[in-house]
Amino acid sequence: MSGRKLLGAALGALLAGTVAAAADTIKVGIIGPFSGPFALQGKNFQAGVEAYMALNGKSVKGHDIEVIYRDLPAANPQQSRALAQELIVKDKVQYLGGVYFTPDAMAITPLLTQANTPLVIFNAATSSIMTQSPLVVRTSFTTAQTTTPLGKIAIERGIKKVITAVSDYGPGVDAEVAFKKAFEAAGGQVIESVRMPLNTNDFSPIMQRIRDSKADAVFAFLPSGPTTLGFVKAYNETGLRQAGVKFLAPGDLTQESDLPALGDGALGLLTTFHYSVAHDSPENKRFVEAAAKAIGGIDHLSFPAVGAYDGMHVIYKMIEATDGKQDAQKAVDAVKGLSWTSPRGPVSIDAETRHITENIYLREVAKDANGHLYNKEIQTFANQKDPGLAK
Amino acid sequence: MRGSATSGRFADSRLLRDVVGVAAIAVAGAAGYWLFPDNLALLTRVIAVALLVLSLDLVVGYCGVATLGHAALYGAGAYAAGMACLRGVTEPMTLILIGAVAGAAAGLVMGTIMLRAHGLAQLVLSIALVQLAHEAANKASAYTGGSDGLAGFSPSPLFGTFVFDLWGRTAYLFGLALLIGVFILLKFVVASPFGMLCRGIKEDPVRIRAMGAFVFPVLLKMFVISGAVAGAGGALAALSTQVVGLDSVSFELSANSLVMLVLGGLGSLYGALVGTVIFMGFEHVVSAINPFHWMTMVGALLIAVVLVAPGGIGGLAGRLFPTMPAKGDDRGGRS
Amino acid sequence: MRGRACKDRRIAVADRNVFMQTVFSIAIDAVAYGMALFIICIGLSLTMGLMRVVNLAHGAFAMIAGYIASFAQRELGTGYAVAILLSILGTIVVSIPIERFLYRRIYGSPELTQVLMTIGITFCVIGITNYFFGPTLKTIPLPESLSEPVDLGFRAVAGHRLFVMACGLVVAAGLWFLIEKTAFGIRLRATVDNAGMADALGVRTQVVYAVSFAIAMGLAAFGGVVGAEFLPIEPYYALRYMVTFLVVVSVGGAGSIPGALLACLVLGTIDTTGRYLMPEFGNFFFYAAVIAIVCIFPRGLLGRAQ
Repeated sequence: MSGRKLLGAALGALLAGTVAAAADTIKVGIIGPFSGPFALQGKNFQAGVEAYMALNGKSVKGHDIEVIYRDLPAANPQQSRALAQELIVKDKVQYLGGVYFTPDAMAITPLLTQANTPLVIFNAATSSIMTQSPLVVRTSFTTAQTTTPLGKIAIERGIKKVITAVSDYGPGVDAEVAFKKAFEAAGGQVIESVRMPLNTNDFSPIMQRIRDSKADAVFAFLPSGPTTLGFVKAYNETGLRQAGVKFLAPGDLTQESDLPALGDGALGLLTTFHYSVAHDSPENKRFVEAAAKAIGGIDHLSFPAVGAYDGMHVIYKMIEATDGKQDAQKAVDAVKGLSWTSPRGPVSIDAETRHITENIYLREVAKDANGHLYNKEIQTFANQKDPGLAK
Repeated sequence: MRGSATSGRFADSRLLRDVVGVAAIAVAGAAGYWLFPDNLALLTRVIAVALLVLSLDLVVGYCGVATLGHAALYGAGAYAAGMACLRGVTEPMTLILIGAVAGAAAGLVMGTIMLRAHGLAQLVLSIALVQLAHEAANKASAYTGGSDGLAGFSPSPLFGTFVFDLWGRTAYLFGLALLIGVFILLKFVVASPFGMLCRGIKEDPVRIRAMGAFVFPVLLKMFVISGAVAGAGGALAALSTQVVGLDSVSFELSANSLVMLVLGGLGSLYGALVGTVIFMGFEHVVSAINPFHWMTMVGALLIAVVLVAPGGIGGLAGRLFPTMPAKGDDRGGRS
Repeated sequence: MRGRACKDRRIAVADRNVFMQTVFSIAIDAVAYGMALFIICIGLSLTMGLMRVVNLAHGAFAMIAGYIASFAQRELGTGYAVAILLSILGTIVVSIPIERFLYRRIYGSPELTQVLMTIGITFCVIGITNYFFGPTLKTIPLPESLSEPVDLGFRAVAGHRLFVMACGLVVAAGLWFLIEKTAFGIRLRATVDNAGMADALGVRTQVVYAVSFAIAMGLAAFGGVVGAEFLPIEPYYALRYMVTFLVVVSVGGAGSIPGALLACLVLGTIDTTGRYLMPEFGNFFFYAAVIAIVCIFPRGLLGRAQ
């Protein structure tokens, strides 16, 4: 009897040992704005992550995945670095993900090599981040990438003179430069470039400038939220739309979570972007269903969610390739050239720049059968790389 | 007034108290090192902000100048250290010195503009100045990195051997030594006749003028010293995180540091340290659990402090242990 | 030769017309923005000047009003006017216990104490609003009549802006009448000049304070709602614009209605013109102007002697 007990105990221990050995936990640290004015974007990150895990399981090759979220409410490079350091040193994460703002990403990149941890960026959209470290992969977009097709589109629609009005910060300047380059290459003329301070509330003087410049169209870029709202409102209210001045912008300005607040004033606005929630594909249907459930309503869903969704896909592939071991270079090398069908369309990770190559769509804000505003895709530019990184 | 140097026994007891105090700080610092080896980056940030709050105490607690713009001095030090490091000056102690000098210069400018006004006008000037500094840092992005922040610099190893690495050990111990050194220096400053004059100005500027002393130069001098301390804090932050962001020069940082100071108690220097540790510790723990409630808690805490403990925690301690010479400021505790 | 001179003269006249139109255009924007600021800030000017309370939580009350108005219109389906009324009443109701239990404790306290208490209140309000309403911004839908652009010939102006300007003038006139011509105004002025003496003479100063506070809150509420087009309603509103409000009041001189009006118009003009001419430097001009004015007029442009 005691012999059987002993055997039972030994077997039990052996079993427990093997089970424990197989079911190790790989931690992924996600840094994003989960509180503050950009909390909705952070929620979108979370929704994308949870949607992916709901559809693809919470483990890869026997390794359980644990996601740790850290809140970074605004662009705060010092805090970003502190959080990343904490995640690496204290929480011992194997992968870092997320990051909404460029300065936050820039602050993390110096740590990656020393920490042997790759960073998968779910949003931060400036080209130069990728050159800071060989261990960064991005699944979102760059402003240059989404803006460049607008140059040709404008010329095709008979627009010859454009005035640019962007917010005076990194992404804004990027957008202005990218548009100017593309538009002038296609034969157009940017007659004036206006840069507005980030905390501008009253856009009437800017609208006056736009009117005075006698441009055919205005190209705008502002951070999402109150400023975009104010700008689009001013565009309508000061009669610029009625005067025939067209409105061109990258899709950040008409992201789905802002459309209800913009209301009918947004109808007809032309934007170019990598993702529309209304994109018609089976992958997107599955994604939207899962993500809308995670975020608590389809009205809140927006592009950061798809960046997070595809980012998790990349992380899963990395874990698969390294079989759960912490080897940042091997992980990154494994996903170079990786291609799959994302909810946004066909995508791939460029082997040289580690940035995502994807379709960019021209969209128009329209109303669907239920009176609901959405971004209707009317033209596709396939396989766009990031012009900012092109040699 | 407190602490006239005539009573030898009293001076001795004060010296003893200060030695014990500094020893306590050193012990607490060492405890932090052993108890939280994975959190040293956070603790170093706490030390940097503690230096800012100390500098604020000099101006608010000892001189009675209400300011919401002190982050400008901190940011000046941070950016100066960052820019110098980028241009090849990588020796850590030199960088701290550069930060202190930049902070002092900024303090000189700020003080010159601010100190002639009084009350509300002074407060508004301080706010306008820090906002202007913020704008300048944003615009001069070629030098400061603008909204992207200044990054890509790294200090060389301390004394040639201790590297500023990912785990932050060097940075923390360096910061702790800096804090203790600055603290001791400041204790001398506030106990000096100059410090007495400042406190006199806080209590009754008219009488001080009647005495024949000039108020403005004295306040300006204290502002410059305060600027040096704040700048050193900024430089420490720049060194340890190797990133300088616009939030170093923000109104929010000024407001937060004022809250920390009030929490700990004005006018005692210890209060600055206590307040910083409690506030930032709280923030770290609560924000991780539920960031939405963080602001509400801080607000409630502030209201509570004003209603119940105007001298801050130091004042409370002073009232709870009345046998000890009061550490809180005159408003809350007893002298 | 003569033809060419004629043509040059016509071009010069045309240029001047365009220039005048631009100036006019900027002026309209400046006045509209300034008026919105005025309505919000006049309450703060009164609180700070008459009751000597540095009330950094003023913006928080304007924000509460904005939320109430937005909620009323979106969830309860009321019209714009009703929403304004509800928000004013709601804000005053909310402010009464806060005045009774918190503000009364800091009348006469040193500045720093008041700053801290009111910052504390602001933080609490932000946290609570964030919790109940979420972090996204809330719009206050305008009625049809106000959202139509009004054609002024050389440009269109949102009808709403003219409405705000009108409101500002009404508020200024109404307050002036209240303070200069009514019995309450006399008691108010007496309490301001010498509270102790007024009390001794039978003026119920506590009541005067409470009523003034309520009026200030009502004005903040009104301003918050009509100004929501310029200053959008979201939880950080209270902190974000607190600096602007404080600055406007100091520049104008606490307690002075013409001062507040002048400050709002001057700062509004400098801000708007700056943004038109050199948008990249927008904020420079504003804060530089503030520093200059406060240095030259430490009590504000038309401030009362303290």
